[in-house]
Formats: sequence, structure tokens, C-alpha cells
Amino acid sequence: MKRSRIVMLVMLLAVIPATLLLGLKLPGRSYYLLSALVALEILIPFFMAFEGRKPQPRELVTVAVMSALVTIARVAVPLPSFKPTFAVIMLSGIAFGPETGFIVGALGALGSDFFYGQGPFTPWQMMAYGMAGVLAGIGFAPGRLPRKNWVMGVFCFICTVLFIGPLLDTSTVTIIATTFTWENMLPIYASGLPVNLTQGACSFLTMLLFGNAILEKLERVRTQYGMMETDDDGL
Amino acid sequence: MKREENDAFSRCHPAVGFTFFVGAIGLGAMIMHPAYIAASAVFAVTYYCLLKGARGMKLVALSIPLFLFLTFANPLVNHDGQRVLTYVFGKPYTFEALLYGMVIAGMLIAMILWAGCYNAVMTSDKFMTLFGGMIPTISMLLLMVLRLVPNMLRKIGQLAGARRCIGRGAAENATKKEQAADSLNVLSALMTWALEGGVITADSMKARGYGTERRSSFQIHTLTGQDICLLGTMGVLTVMIVRLIALGGTAANYTPIMEITPVTGRYVWGFAAYCAFLSLPTVLYIKEAVQWHISRSGI
Amino acid sequence: MAHFEIRDLSFTYASAKGRLSLDRVSFDVDKGQYLVLCGKSGSGKTTLLKQLKPVLSPAGKRSGEVLFNGVPVRQLSERDQAAKIGYVMQNPDDQIVTDKVWHELAFGLESLGCDQKTMRARVAEMACYFGIQDWFHRDVANLSGGQKQLLNLASIMAMQPEVLILDEPTSQLDPIAASDFLNTVRKINLELGTTVIITEHRLEDIFPHADRAVVMDGGRVIADDRPRNIGRLLYEQDNPMFTAMPTPVRVFYGSGGSGECPLTVRDGRSWLSEAFPAGAKVKSLPETKNPVEDNEPALIMKELWFRYEKDTPDIMRGVSAEVPTGSLYAIVGGNGAGKSTTLKAICGINRPYRGKIRIFGKPVEKYRSAELFSRCLAMLPQDPKSLFVKKTVREELEEMNSDKARVGEIAALCQVEPLLDSHPYDLSGGEQQRAALAKVLLTEPRLLLLDEPTKGIDSFFKETFAGILAELKAKGITIVMVSHDVEFCARYADMVSMFFDGQILTTDTPRRFFGSNSFYTTAANRMSRHVFTQAVTAEDVIALCRANREGEA
Repeated sequence: MKRSRIVMLVMLLAVIPATLLLGLKLPGRSYYLLSALVALEILIPFFMAFEGRKPQPRELVTVAVMSALVTIARVAVPLPSFKPTFAVIMLSGIAFGPETGFIVGALGALGSDFFYGQGPFTPWQMMAYGMAGVLAGIGFAPGRLPRKNWVMGVFCFICTVLFIGPLLDTSTVTIIATTFTWENMLPIYASGLPVNLTQGACSFLTMLLFGNAILEKLERVRTQYGMMETDDDGL
Repeated sequence: MKREENDAFSRCHPAVGFTFFVGAIGLGAMIMHPAYIAASAVFAVTYYCLLKGARGMKLVALSIPLFLFLTFANPLVNHDGQRVLTYVFGKPYTFEALLYGMVIAGMLIAMILWAGCYNAVMTSDKFMTLFGGMIPTISMLLLMVLRLVPNMLRKIGQLAGARRCIGRGAAENATKKEQAADSLNVLSALMTWALEGGVITADSMKARGYGTERRSSFQIHTLTGQDICLLGTMGVLTVMIVRLIALGGTAANYTPIMEITPVTGRYVWGFAAYCAFLSLPTVLYIKEAVQWHISRSGI
Repeated sequence: MAHFEIRDLSFTYASAKGRLSLDRVSFDVDKGQYLVLCGKSGSGKTTLLKQLKPVLSPAGKRSGEVLFNGVPVRQLSERDQAAKIGYVMQNPDDQIVTDKVWHELAFGLESLGCDQKTMRARVAEMACYFGIQDWFHRDVANLSGGQKQLLNLASIMAMQPEVLILDEPTSQLDPIAASDFLNTVRKINLELGTTVIITEHRLEDIFPHADRAVVMDGGRVIADDRPRNIGRLLYEQDNPMFTAMPTPVRVFYGSGGSGECPLTVRDGRSWLSEAFPAGAKVKSLPETKNPVEDNEPALIMKELWFRYEKDTPDIMRGVSAEVPTGSLYAIVGGNGAGKSTTLKAICGINRPYRGKIRIFGKPVEKYRSAELFSRCLAMLPQDPKSLFVKKTVREELEEMNSDKARVGEIAALCQVEPLLDSHPYDLSGGEQQRAALAKVLLTEPRLLLLDEPTKGIDSFFKETFAGILAELKAKGITIVMVSHDVEFCARYADMVSMFFDGQILTTDTPRRFFGSNSFYTTAANRMSRHVFTQAVTAEDVIALCRANREGEA
């Protein structure tokens, strides 16, 4: 087994539960700290896997371009919350596999926070964006879902509205909610819903219009210039 | 010179800044005691204004309504507490919940302001100094992202302009649908452009030996005696504060029964340590200002 | 001892279906030599350069060998390749990896795993040698193109290479930045003894300093000699590369000069003085009436004032001009003077806060956007890539007009028919330029705006491009172009305007315009102004020389 996989298992089975247990003993509103720690602990194995793989410059540059596009996607469309951010991440996940997809998402989040301001939400955002890449990478690994524009669009919409959006809203909960009760959390999730729906719709539209065109572009870089041997076996 | 460069704390080694902000935000999240939160908010406001000048005051002013809103809204969802002030929609509106709301609001604002200071002080190159050696590939990626984003923003302008000049882009009076479709088109063109440029970047990296040896990392920031001194001070203070939290010196409970450990008396050293920690950047700033003033008047 | 020995090197790209890109190339490069490699684009220059640094060489079939210091270069470790063979590419922007100047300088040293002390010393050294101290802490994004390319050079020199390979390093720079850059390269060669192998369009700036010139055509070496002798070889072979030679060389052979060929304007002047010791009898060519000068104006700009932000300085400070219908109207001037801003103002992207623009007699604000950009006005941007959004050139063109016949006509006019099924990014700079022009022309403009159309294009593509422009003019299309390229404007424009300090200062025909300037003018004019008046192109000078000789005979 690869070292990164071992680290991932250790994290999931030992370190994260330990963090949570420790959190029960901490005073105050430590659930923010706790959640940020857990988010960071999820990041570590992915980062280690990427470091360990020693990617070639061409792969690095491509990942950097996609991550930078995640940032750009936040400003490129002049309509509020209608941003193709997740579509960009998920396409990277589909093209390069879940591990690289995670890196694109996480770095996209970190990078854009350098331009729009970092905050307590940064670790959360990195984790959530990264997860978008992982989900798409697993869902569309060779032999799984067909890479058709509409399939990718629907998948992207569902992930955004049901998973990534709520995950990001949860970070808001840990930062501003006074206590962890459904009563407190529901309004936050509810207020997040329209934003998530718009985001989802934009992701859907992007996939529908450009899904395979973008995959082809990534493919072109790969074949034209001979790069990137990924082991996208879907984790 | 930007105001941030004028600040003594910003010119310290990145490790100093990073430790401070992790401490200020992390410890801040663990303490629910009103006096400590007030202290955190006061120091955050002071340092933020020193860093940002008049622009900083604006954000501080904007945060007041947020503070009031969160304070008065909390009792509407949280009905616990003994001293009922009034009834809203048939539910009790309690003093304890109000105070709790105030504490939460204060904490949130302190966090926002500390995050603002963090963004001003911890520029990307400092971040890189800290993590470049630890996670070389990921920091390399981050570097490239930071380099690409301004490039892409400029290119987006060019692409949109070029398309408009052949009558293809969205006109000024375009519908939202047209705008969205056009910006997605631009984004797609941008991607092709960036990927093709990336091939050259990759060649340029290979040409300069990327990946041939274990990468070292050029340190533009050097650790000075003052930095070590500051790190030591912060370390000692942090240990004291953690000890204080473990002893229950910062314990505060609001609902259903209000219990707040007094600041004065046996835990006064803890409060002093907390204030000392948070005041470090401000103290450095003032110290330097005074020194300049003296040396100038001496001339 | 030879630094590089190239022995019978042939190369075929994996995707080229057997067509040789390099055909039995053999030559040596001596230590400390300054070698310039010239040839049309597509002649195999870049392919050859990449073979000298195997980490950059693309996939393909190779035969023959390249020795570096007597050892096959492919056996060199990656570390040695990186440290000993420096390689600067064409595009200043894409070569930069990091976001800070200081970090970019240290990049190569970091890759080689140098320790802090060495890195500090080397970086400091480089910053001083290249004059980078003042912008050492800056973000790369805020540098000018010239500064970026200088940074790329410095970052490579920090590794102290023995050989410096430069692949058209100045093609994306304006003339002043380009000659600064080339001077720095020359300084490195002279002061450090670094071997330099360079490909370049701007032979005027290089030939006088180079030790040797190698000319390639179709993957072969067709001439290899001292620069002074290259002109004669090419002239005798009647090789099209001759048109890329520096003006003095072209004038010298074109007018049948004998003796030692001049390479610089200075030498050219003394050669002309010797050729006409008593002064020339025929001093200037007969004045021809410019047929378009009195045409109705297609575009009128009147007192335009513009600034980007409320509190930034004015970029346009009362720009006024009248462009006659059917003319090729060139606006020349320095970098950042506001030429491109003016073009954008004509397109309505920048709105002047004072002044009037009339296009075909109608104020620009009266046009609806759809009306303006269809059958009326169109602009070819500085970077032709900005227009490409599709996978093939054909799709690009069909995006503009679904009428296949019309697409075919325009493709033929712009000579892009053989390229229709290629990916736009696979084309060379000149081909991209023509494909983009075809796309722009499909809006059927009557007024065509060109922003630096000759940037990064070699002399052959320029000629092709000029031919296309002439055809467009013949169809009555008015062309306004802004350019740094004085030689191109002198040769092909009908009217030339000088843009300076936010204003159009003077406007005249190229002959009168460049003929009355003494610094900002063509090499031909600088070389001949003491003998002839208003001779602004090499062709003018040649014609005058001939006329005088015939007069004597």
C-alpha cells in the first residue's frame, strides 16, 4: 500500500476521532477550532500523496492553470453567485482523477483567498472545494458514469446543491451559530439554499455547454505535449 | 510606501506573524469570557486601524451594525435564561441570551478584524517562506496560481475586448443570459490560452532544472534576534493562557444560568498574559513610532 | 575546442509523418562565439536549438549527434544540462514561473538545491549586473515586457551557464526594449565570454556584433560565414532570406555595390559618401501624388480626451485626425503613448469624455453596437490569439459567418486555406495573424483597425501580410494601424502620423514624414540622408543609386 493511503487511513480512523474526542474536553466555542483542525487533517493525506508523486512540470502547470481558473471563475461572470467554480473543479477531477481533483479544488480555494481575503473559513473551503474534485473523480472514473455533457451537468448540480453547498454552509454554522441545534442551523442552511441552487445551475449550464469541449482541451495538452500519467483508479 | 510596510510587526519574520495570528484567532475561539473577548476586540480594532489607516476605520464602523444585529437577534432564537426582559411573539426575550449574543457578536467581529490584519500582514511571499520548505510541490503550485491569476485577469479583459471589437461579445445592454453565455465563452478561451502558455512555462521550469535535485528554498526573510525574542515571549504567554483555560480561569456560562469567573483576584495574571499577547503588534508599532520621534527630534 | 559539435543531425517530429524538420545539419560552435541563426519561420531554427538542450527536445525520430564539450549532449545529467546550457524563449510572460522578481531570480538555483549562502550571493550579483535592484521586490505582474524578458535572462544567468541559447528573445518587445535586451546579451558575451547562440528577426541590431551567421532553409544549413559575407552568398543564390538582411546590406548589393559590404548605418553612410564623392545629381525620387490623400474621410477624430479613472492622468489629450477612405493610415509612436487606447476609443470600448468620433460621417455613439461591428468597423487585436475560441481555424471562421462560400473566399484572400483544419494554437505567429485577420474580415468591415500587426512576425510574413492589406485597400477598405514598426510603415502606409504625449502631432506621407525626421526614422533614411532627400526605404535608396549611376554613364 502506498504511504499516502496509509496516512489517509490513519487520519480517518485515528487522528480525526481523537481530535473530535479532544474537542469534547475543550471549553468555549471550540467546535470552530475543531472543525478547522479536522478540515486540515483531511487535507494532509491528499497533499502528501501529491508531494510523494513528484509530478512533472507539465502536470504541475496544468494543475496550477485549473486552480487559477477556480479563482477566476469567481469574478469572470458578472452575475451574483452565478459562478462556474465547481464545474471547473469537477472537470479537473474527471480529467485527472480524484486525487489531483482534490488538489485543484483545495488550491483553488486557497489561491482565491489570497486575492479575496483569507479567514477562519479558509481550511473549510479548501476541504469542501477539494471534495468536489474527489466526488467527480470517483463518479466519472473510467467505467463508471458516462462522460456526457448532461450527465456531468446533472451530477455537478446534485453535488453542488446537496453536498458541497451544505458543507460550506456548515462552516458558516461553526463560525456564527451560537449553539448547535437544528433550530439554529436550519435558517443558515435555508439562507444558503438559493445561493447553492444558482451555483448549481451555473455549474450545470457550464457542463452542458462546455463539458466535453473542456475535457478535450485538457486531453489535447496531454496528448499534444505528452504528459500526465495519472493512476485514476477512483481511490 | 504602503502602510503595511510601515508597520514594525509586518516586517518581522513570517514565523512571528503566523504564530501570533494562529494564537490570536485560535485562543480567541476557545474563550467565551466577556472581558477576554472585549480585550481581543479592542486590540484587533487598534491594530487594524494602525495597519489600514482611514480605510480601516470604515470596516470597523461597518461592523457596529453587525454587532448590534447579532446581539439583539440571539434572544429571538435562544429563549433560555432567567431574567426575562420582555416577550416577543409569545416567547421569552431574556437578559442572558442577550448577553450571550453580545459575546458571540464581539467574538465574531474580533475574528473578522484579526483575519483582516492577517491578510494585510501575511502576504503570499511570507506564506511561502513558511511552507516552501515543508511542502515544496504544493507551495510551488500555489506560487504559480498567484502568478497566473493576475495574468488571467488581464487576459480576460483582452479577450472580452477583442470579441467586442468584432461584434461577438455581449454588448452593454445584453440580457443576463447573453452575459452569462458570453462570459463562459471567454472563460473557455482563457482556458485554452492558459493551458498553451502553461506548456511553455513547464519548458522554462525544465530548462532551469526543476525536479533534478531536492529543491532548496530561497529565504528572503531572515530570522533576527528580535524575532527569536518575540517568538519566545509568545511561547511563554501562550503556555500561561492555556494553563489559565485548563484551570477554568476563563470559564463563562450564560444560559440557562449565568456564571462568569471574575477577572480580578486569583486569575488576574491570566488576563494580563492574554492582553500582553494580543497587544504585541500594537506595542511594536508604537515603540517604533516613539523611537523615530525621539531620533528625529534629537537631530 | 568546439563547444558544440553538431554532426549530421536529422530530426522528424513524431506528428510530421516523415517530413524532415532538420536535414543533416552539421556545424561547430566555438567557445565564446556569438552565433546568429537565421531563416524563415518554419526553417527549423527552433527545432535545432531544442536539440541542443535535450530536456526541451520534443518527441520524434533523430539521427546524428550533438556533442557538448566533446560529450554527447544527451548523456549529460539533467543537472549539468540545466546549469551549463541556458535557454531563453520567445514569450516573456509564459516563461516566468513565480510571482515575485526575487523568487524568479532564485528559481533555477532552488532547483539545483543550492544553499542559502550561495543563492544570496548569486541573486545579489545578478540583480546588480542586470540593474534589477530597483524592482527586486516587485510582483512580476507589474513589470513591462522588456523587464520580464530581462528577468528571464538574469534568472538563467544566475546559474552561470557556459552557453546561452536564445530563441527569438525580442520578438514580443518594442524596439527600444529589444535593443536594450540585445545589448545586454552582447555585454554578457563580451564580458563573461559566454557562448551565445541566438535566432532573431532584428538582424540590424545583431549582425554588426555577431561573429558568425548560419542561415537555415527547409531544415538545412544553406550558408555559414561571417555576417559580412552572408549577404553576398544570399544575394548570389537569390535566396528570399536576403530580404531579411539589414538595410545597408540590401542597399549595397541591390545597387550593385562593390568592395566591403557595410553592416551598420554608420558604415553605410561612409560607403555612400565614397560612392558619391561630389554629391548625388538626382537627389530625390519624383514626387508622386498620393491618390487617396483627397478622398472623403472615413474616420474623423476631433479633440478626443480620455482617461481610465477619474484620478489618473489623461491618456488622450486632444487627439485629432482625419483618415481618408481607402488609405492605409499608420500611427507610430513610443510605448504607452496611448496609441492602442485610441484604437479602443474608436471601437467604443473606451469612451472619451470630450471630443467627437465620426465613422463614415456618422457619430460613433449614434451607431447601435450590432450595426457598428457588422459591415462597418472591426479591430484586429495585438495578440491574435485573443480571438481564438474554437478547435480548428475552420470553426473559428464559421463562427463569424455560416456562409461556406464566403468563408472560402476570405480564407483564400488571407492565405489560410491549407491551415483550415489545424488547431489555431498550432500555427506559427504569422499564420495566427492571418487566421485572426480572416476572422475579423468576415464581419465585412469597411474600416479595419490593426493593433501592432507586425509584432513577432518575420520579414516574409510581413510581406505576405502587406500583400493582403494591399488587396483589401483595392477593395476600398480603409485601414488604420498603430505600430512600432517604422520600416513597415515607411514601406506600405499611405499616411503616417506621430503619436506623442496623448496627441497626434504630425501627419504626412511616409516620404515626407520620415524624410524630415532624423532620429525617429528608417535605417535607409538615416543611412542616406546626407546624400539623398526623402529616401525612406531600401528600395528608394537603391532606385536613387541606380538613377545616379545611369546619369553618369
